[in-house]
Amino acid sequence: MSMTSSSGSTAGRVEAGEAARSDKQQQTTPPPPPPLPLPQARTGGFLGRHRLSAAITRLDQEILSLQEEINELETMDPSSAACQEVLLSMEGKPEPLLPVTRGPEDVSWDRWFQRVRSSRGHKWWTHKGSDFS
Amino acid sequence: MSVAELKKRHVAAMETVDALRERVKQKRQLLLDTDVKSYAKSQGTTPISFGSTDLVCCRTLLGHTGKVYSLDWTPERNRIVSVALDGRLIVWNALTSQKTHAIKLNCPWMRACAFAPNGQSVACGGLDSACSIFNLTSQVDKDGNIPIARVLTGHKGYVFSCQYVPDQETRLITGSGDHTCVLWDVTTGQRISVFGGELPSGHTADVLSVSINSSNSNMFVSGSCDATARLWDTRKASRAVQTFHGHGGDVNSVKFFPDGQRFGTGSDDGTCRLFDMRTGHQLQVYTRQHDANDNDVPIVTSIAFSISGRLFFAGYSNGDCYVWDTLVAEVVLNLGTLQNSHEGRISCLGLAADGSALCTGSWDKNLKIWAFGGHRKVI
Repeated sequence: MSMTSSSGSTAGRVEAGEAARSDKQQQTTPPPPPPLPLPQARTGGFLGRHRLSAAITRLDQEILSLQEEINELETMDPSSAACQEVLLSMEGKPEPLLPVTRGPEDVSWDRWFQRVRSSRGHKWWTHKGSDFS
Repeated sequence: MSVAELKKRHVAAMETVDALRERVKQKRQLLLDTDVKSYAKSQGTTPISFGSTDLVCCRTLLGHTGKVYSLDWTPERNRIVSVALDGRLIVWNALTSQKTHAIKLNCPWMRACAFAPNGQSVACGGLDSACSIFNLTSQVDKDGNIPIARVLTGHKGYVFSCQYVPDQETRLITGSGDHTCVLWDVTTGQRISVFGGELPSGHTADVLSVSINSSNSNMFVSGSCDATARLWDTRKASRAVQTFHGHGGDVNSVKFFPDGQRFGTGSDDGTCRLFDMRTGHQLQVYTRQHDANDNDVPIVTSIAFSISGRLFFAGYSNGDCYVWDTLVAEVVLNLGTLQNSHEGRISCLGLAADGSALCTGSWDKNLKIWAFGGHRKVI
């Protein structure tokens, strides 16, 4: 998050330049210019406060939600429970893309390898089991 | 309160958040007593073994003249919509390989497309930061194009992903470069809900992918450049239900697992992962073998599960398309090395509604259909 602030007035830099020029008459090396005044937000710091407040509110909400999560984690099942569910979810499910599958088999699974009538005349797709060249 | 005092409070709050995040991480680590691979092994799961001609490329859909970026199947099995860098949206009959529609788009930079549940409309979105809806039953205009039925505007960034809500013709969810997901009413063009953005617990970078739970369409998951996936409840847009950490790079693709209780992710870090929706646990990491000296790990661009969930398909930037055995966490086939495989990056993939075929889309400008052409044993 960044705070917006306008750059400082140029007055400081002008004064520094004039100071350097006036000193030049007495010394060969001009003294370093006085430090520039610190940048001020145009509206006197309001914009910075507003953004910081908003950021703090978001962080406070995140703190609450993290604390909630920590509470949930106290009584949460370990990953083995979910892993078991993953395994069980596949049992008994027919799978058209596997060499070995539970039934029932649906004949339309093999439509990709059957004779297809298209609007441009017959298209013939080789039988299952053949090599495609 | 002065700015200086607010700054102190801000720093203190950030430190508290960091400390709590670390505690969450440690508690989660303790709950990871096993992963899918170890559990399956303990149960004596037999790994899948494919014959060399079992999964074959049975169609190549030729027609796009630019990189294919996205594809989607209809629920009634045989039609596919795709978008490519040639600025065209094409609707295919995958069985006959014929194009039923070829729409020239105003913006060629499309990244996402989707079929409506009734198969009569399609949506596409991309670098125009909008989502355009076409009614495929409309009369074509004098140039042979289907006019746009509606444009969903409001995103302040590119649209990278879109999906219709499965049982609702009129609702669509998008994921965007403006860090938000949006639920739209397609008939009015209005935003129903915005997920993230100014609200806390939203993504902090571009949203690249969304996936709606077909078992419970109130829930959807999003993947982002902020390296997380987030779970959302459409009835409660104010806060993400859960944030899933683990990936080390952009999450390019998210897909719900068939049981509706888990989901998969694919990332720039080269891995795929399986997460549990309810607990937030990371159940498995799917990492490719690669040369220790090889600094270029191919990124995962797109993922899909077979209808039972036993196969986990992953497309990579180098043209590989790995078929993972979800349970054993091993690669059982690489479609990228088979006959008639793609000659470029796999950018998108999707499973037919009945699970009988997989479609892959590539930067080689083609789409391909893969199906089981071997001898099937039914037990």
